[in-house]
Amino acid sequence: MAERPEDLNLPNAVITRIIKEALPDGVNISKEARSAISRAASVFVLYATSCANNFAMKGKRKTLNASDVLSAMEEMEFQRFVTPLKEALEAYRREQKGKKEASEQKKKDKDRKTDSEEPGQSLWQKSQEDQN
Amino acid sequence: MAAAAAAGSGAPREEEGSGGEAAAPQPQAPTSASGARLSRLPLARVKALVKADPDVTLAGQEAIFILARAAELFVETIAKDAYCCAQQGKRKTLQRRDLDNAIEAVDEFAFLEGTLD
Repeated sequence: MAERPEDLNLPNAVITRIIKEALPDGVNISKEARSAISRAASVFVLYATSCANNFAMKGKRKTLNASDVLSAMEEMEFQRFVTPLKEALEAYRREQKGKKEASEQKKKDKDRKTDSEEPGQSLWQKSQEDQN
Repeated sequence: MAAAAAAGSGAPREEEGSGGEAAAPQPQAPTSASGARLSRLPLARVKALVKADPDVTLAGQEAIFILARAAELFVETIAKDAYCCAQQGKRKTLQRRDLDNAIEAVDEFAFLEGTLD
């Protein structure tokens, strides 16, 4: 039996944490309300995806990109999300760039280490000696 | 009610360490803490939701990330709007009916009607 898309839920623990941090201290949330918010978040992603996809198709692209999603937010009347999302995107891009540079640096360090190691007896030499 | 709710939950809460601070002059390897603050929802699950749409061919990594972040903002927003209803009832626990009221009252949540049952 095919899974309904709404069944693709986001992790309960994370949803709960986000809700608790959004609300004042001492406020609780019932299990039913939390699970409903979780489902709402999934529906939100599905709806946003569909809207974003329309923008991608209008641009004759097959891959959804960041600006498609931002356009979708405006279309869905969530303009208030656009600025924080743009900031988050910039931070994400910086982090990705930093990660890339860090891994390239690691590779350089690794290569440098290998070069400076004492060259052991070459195996070819050893096989020559064995033959004699 | 819609306008009041929108005003009340307008600006998302400032999180420490999230994007929005001025970039450091020299490139530094980002700490895992700042990375975690960027998105708490696992991108793999968000990607699974995106792929559930039969019309979607491909989605870039940045698109997935923004959708995850948008979903977080959405959760914060709807939780705060629902809390306005609970407050009016002088309760300290958010109930399902608070959520239903918020969905009915706030125009932006109209797309949720009928989907949560």
